Amino acid sequence: MKGKEILHRLVQMIFTLLGVTFLTFALTYIAPGDPVEMILEVGDTIIPKEVIEATRKELGLDQPFHVQYVRWLGGLLTGDMGMSYSARVPVAQKLMEALPGTIALAGSSLFIMMIIALPLGIISALHRNSIIDNVIRAVTFVGISMPSFWVGLVLLYIFGLQLGWFPIAGGEVEFRRMVLPAVTLAIPMAAKYTRQVRTALLEELNQDYVMGARARGIPMSRVLWHHILPNACLPLITLLGLTIGWLLGGSAVIEMVFGWPGLGKLAVHAIEMRDYPLVMGFVLWIAVFYMVINLIIDCSYHYLDPRIRKGTR
Amino acid sequence: MFTFTKAKKAMAAALATGMLASFVTGCGGGGDKKADDKKAASGQAEKFKFGVTNFADSLEPTDNYFGWVVMRYGLGECLFKFDEKMVVQPWVADKWSVSEDKLTWTIHIRDNVTFSNGKKCDAEAVKKSIERVFAKSKRAGTFFAYTKMEAKGQDLMITTKEPMPNLNGALSDPLWLIVDVTSDKAAGGDRDFSKQGPICTGPYKVKSFVKEKAVMESNDTYWGGKPPYKVVEIPSIDDPNTRAMALQSGEIDAAVNIAAGDMTLFRGKDKFRVSELASLRTVITRLNQREGRILNDKRVREALVSSLDRETYNKVLLKGTFIAGKAPVPPSLDYGFDQLKDPNAYNVERAKKLLAEAGWKDTNGDGILDKDGKPLQLTIVTYNSRAELPLYSEAIQADAKKVGIDIKINTVDYNLVDRMGINGEFDLMISNNITAPTGDPEIYLNWYWRTNVDGNNPQNGTGYSNPAYDELMAKLAVEFDKGKRREMMIKAQQIILDDCASIFMGYPQTNMVSSSKIANADIKPADYYWLTPEIKPAK
Repeated sequence: MKGKEILHRLVQMIFTLLGVTFLTFALTYIAPGDPVEMILEVGDTIIPKEVIEATRKELGLDQPFHVQYVRWLGGLLTGDMGMSYSARVPVAQKLMEALPGTIALAGSSLFIMMIIALPLGIISALHRNSIIDNVIRAVTFVGISMPSFWVGLVLLYIFGLQLGWFPIAGGEVEFRRMVLPAVTLAIPMAAKYTRQVRTALLEELNQDYVMGARARGIPMSRVLWHHILPNACLPLITLLGLTIGWLLGGSAVIEMVFGWPGLGKLAVHAIEMRDYPLVMGFVLWIAVFYMVINLIIDCSYHYLDPRIRKGTR
Repeated sequence: MFTFTKAKKAMAAALATGMLASFVTGCGGGGDKKADDKKAASGQAEKFKFGVTNFADSLEPTDNYFGWVVMRYGLGECLFKFDEKMVVQPWVADKWSVSEDKLTWTIHIRDNVTFSNGKKCDAEAVKKSIERVFAKSKRAGTFFAYTKMEAKGQDLMITTKEPMPNLNGALSDPLWLIVDVTSDKAAGGDRDFSKQGPICTGPYKVKSFVKEKAVMESNDTYWGGKPPYKVVEIPSIDDPNTRAMALQSGEIDAAVNIAAGDMTLFRGKDKFRVSELASLRTVITRLNQREGRILNDKRVREALVSSLDRETYNKVLLKGTFIAGKAPVPPSLDYGFDQLKDPNAYNVERAKKLLAEAGWKDTNGDGILDKDGKPLQLTIVTYNSRAELPLYSEAIQADAKKVGIDIKINTVDYNLVDRMGINGEFDLMISNNITAPTGDPEIYLNWYWRTNVDGNNPQNGTGYSNPAYDELMAKLAVEFDKGKRREMMIKAQQIILDDCASIFMGYPQTNMVSSSKIANADIKPADYYWLTPEIKPAK
């Protein structure tokens, strides 16, 4: 990808972001529920109308939609994402607090996924239709099918309660507390990626260049590592980009089960409380991240695949 | 077959390394348990771990409802508190009196109370704390309004605009917990209340706080004696299953609100101690009896209520985690639950008879009664953010059908419930409501059943009106005598029951479960007394 193309994509990103923020703002605006009532009625006490109105004014919710949106956008351009209604702290601070947990969990689950999916996918493809392949396929099928919250609870029961190897209560971003949620997140991903790796490898294994290389007496391991895997990794990288984007949006269910402080839990809470600035901040983060990841992946094709590189010249 | 030994070896090595790494690093937990149990020479135990659910991002007590958390964590105390029957008792204050004109309250602050920074808590400090709440919280005015507040030594005089029979109850709400205003950064102090917690008078003070976990430490200057623990760790464990498992594993010593399905893991087990009681909540089904509505006919309302087997709903469907409903005010409060009579207790035959008397017959044999060509069809509005409500709705639907009433269930977002209730957009509306946030159900009894004249009591969207009830409520508003107030509220409840104004489905139980190594971990009806100085190691 040339510099001009990257610039073009960056401009596109700005318009996409504008669209995303506008749509999200509009959707939250028309969604049923009043954030003021949500904030004031937590304790079920009786709140007079004047208090509700005064709070609405204080939060700027008495203004028309376009005024609220433009004001939010103006704030954003100056680096101010607004204050969270429910937490009464700046949105940026809330996001930054939740980010380390999400990044740590995403990174570790990706790592676990890779050390499971890559070898199993390769073994499965190289031993196509053998017993081992069938076993791996069956196991991955089960892995994909199991709901994450259930897997999480089972792991907690076995490794937390029965064996006592890992702490059950979350609450802190520390390694021992991260193992079980990371494994829980990694299991369905590993199952899915094992199948993807297998499919991608099988496609490559059927290519003429593999047969040619083998006919010239090149050992299979060399063909695999130097030719098949680099070729097979292109579709996997696209998929991986989407997965990273998904992971960095936080996994609400896993975070709830393990009490892990991350973005997913934060987003669910923000939606429940109709905490519009926090919802907007979260959506913005996700949108920016997805776009950046996609841009990086598109750029990486240029370096990973000589065909694309040559084609662009 | 191809030769692939090297690759396989490499993969096996990677797998083994990964597994070994996670195994080795993951092992070795729970090593500090012995230390926890060790009592220090000071007579204080080392650590207490308390699993809760926390909704507060900050410890600023005037923001939203965060004061609840400040109190739950053993940090803040009010002038007064509620006992097990929600009767107001002294706390930071030790006595009080009301002037003859009923407008001025004189509250005496205990002589020995100090803040956790060692500063004396006198009437002036309390006055500043109350003024701070008025300055910072819009909710303050909903409790009371004062015309004058004076401090003299340990005596605080508050003069209200109107007679406030329940001022001490209002001041028991966590919003009014006493803080050392001078320590607040905003007032020139050195403390950020939201992150470091306010300086209060409770048995514990904040060591560190994030939403997911608070660490409290002993307030060694506590006026009620040395707190039982040096350190209290309070992780917020939102998932109820996880909370139960953490308690089972011994990772935490006590937990609040264990889920209904998990209670069997703890009840009757030597290792655990269970404290359960009816909360201050009531699940109410409002009945829209406005002019022209089917339920405007009292006989139909009575028939509907008589057709419902509330005892079974609570025992079987809700596994005994709710107490069967009868009256507006739950039995956890001392407002005559046992003496109240429900004229519409479960009686299917009576229900059928009443419907027949009201002219409802099944003319087309479809099992649903009809009159003037219209079927006896009602809609119940519910929301599912509280698990029991859909269950109750379905149970009502099933039982009502047995007497020929067809009920449709309309599940809506919680956010719509309030508005629909006010506008009367329902035949039946089921909701879970708190009855006495300030220890006294007067507001609650007014809210739903006092006549709504031209929108002056919008929460009564059912159209219910009884002049005798309104008169009683008007008298109650200016009555100070606790005994008379109680009698009035019992009478008011009986009127509601006799008029068949609403259905009282049940009262949720609340619980605190602890290890048997812990003593006095008791749940209280008010939802903000969790970590108390009474919780200590069992002998």
